[in-house]
Amino acid sequence: MSLSNILDNLSRFRQDAESERYGHHDYEHRFGMAIDLDICIGCNACSTACYAENNLPVVGKDYFEQGQAMHWMRIERYWDDEELEHPERGASFIPMMCQQCGAATCEPVCPVAATYHTPDGLNAQVYNRCIGSRYCSNNCPFRVRYFNFWSFYESSWPEPLNQQLNPDLSVRDKGVMEKCTFCIQRIRVAKDSAAREERNMIDGDVITACAQACPTNAIVFGDTMDPTSQVSLAWKKHEVKRGPYTHKEAKSDEEIRGYRVFDELNVDPSVMYLERVRDSEV
Amino acid sequence: MTATKKMKFMVSVFAFAVFAFVLPATSLADLPVPAHIIPPVGEHSGEHVPQPIDFPHDRHVNDMKINCMYCHTYARRSAVAGIPPTSKCMGCHKMIATDKPRIQKLTEYWEKGESPKWKKVHDVPDYVHFSHEKHIRKFVDKADFPVEDVQQVCGLCHGEVKAMTVAEKVKPLNMGFCVRCHEANDGPGDCWKCHK
Repeated sequence: MSLSNILDNLSRFRQDAESERYGHHDYEHRFGMAIDLDICIGCNACSTACYAENNLPVVGKDYFEQGQAMHWMRIERYWDDEELEHPERGASFIPMMCQQCGAATCEPVCPVAATYHTPDGLNAQVYNRCIGSRYCSNNCPFRVRYFNFWSFYESSWPEPLNQQLNPDLSVRDKGVMEKCTFCIQRIRVAKDSAAREERNMIDGDVITACAQACPTNAIVFGDTMDPTSQVSLAWKKHEVKRGPYTHKEAKSDEEIRGYRVFDELNVDPSVMYLERVRDSEV
Repeated sequence: MTATKKMKFMVSVFAFAVFAFVLPATSLADLPVPAHIIPPVGEHSGEHVPQPIDFPHDRHVNDMKINCMYCHTYARRSAVAGIPPTSKCMGCHKMIATDKPRIQKLTEYWEKGESPKWKKVHDVPDYVHFSHEKHIRKFVDKADFPVEDVQQVCGLCHGEVKAMTVAEKVKPLNMGFCVRCHEANDGPGDCWKCHK
């Protein structure tokens, strides 16, 4: 089904841009995030929570230095003053995970359709179908896809640590690509319980591991198609819209800080960031 | 024809007769398929899984007319159907059939405070999310299908358990089996609905 979806719809992948149906899906949900970089303290709690929730292997220092770390959620650091090792104003942090792009560059390049767009607006990765060509990773502007170059099961979870693995998702083995799923296992549970109670999903039913762990509540997660959800309100307040990028739109107010990373690449990311406010600028 | 050859021939004729006539006759006694379901297609001859006690499904289902969900009670409200706790067995078997060797073995477990180590027969791989609850809701609750006949729905994937002693895997439960049924019965076709 997903293969036919890609084959049938690839030609209008970026067409139909002005309409509601930008992209190629009849969406049921479009999960998204709003991350306030002014509140983010760079504590890495989100990353740690992600490791625990999503069965991410700890690869060790050597592999990490080779760029083979498997952190679906990582904190990137940026220095204002590059010459100083510890500048006065400190670093800026940006939590970077898969942006679940509406027009994702990773999807059309997969030779076996192992990555595709779900009706939830997520970029899914089907591990069983993945053949490890790594084309998607090379095509991702955010560099948030991680390839299992090795099998980490033995080294990362020696007995009895394997008891801590989350049974709601598989442990990936050597040779497959993996990436942030916006905690699909939690979304699945929330959908199941909503169906059991015969209601629609409401805001707050799902919270991702990173958003849950964030000590300053910098991460807000929700359905951007639900106009009353917190994340929708944040997007609206900070004047960030879904859809294609045409030009940099001026904000109505200088204090409005919302932006999407690499918006100009026209990939329609689902994560909105709020710029950090510097003391000197206030 | 030497004697041994004759013997071999006789054996093969007998075996042929068994496979050609006797076995199909037993599988003809299949469960009726509920009218609102297009059944999944596929057969499988599962290996016999030895259990600590040879639990006779046939006695409980045929003779005692016990509903599947009396013992597998979690089927209607969670992903797994569950194996009943020993206390549930003992609820009846404190009084019933206490002279039978299998029940005496069960009582031994009960008195030691242990559970028999039941082995899983129907197992899907770890990368598959299967929810009993959703299937029961669709095919029984929502379809107004009588709960008394729920074994017809269960039987689509578990076979005719009422004809088995220890449960055996008689359906392939592979992806083709699932997907054909999902397509026929308008189930979800999204990869991430089942794969995790």
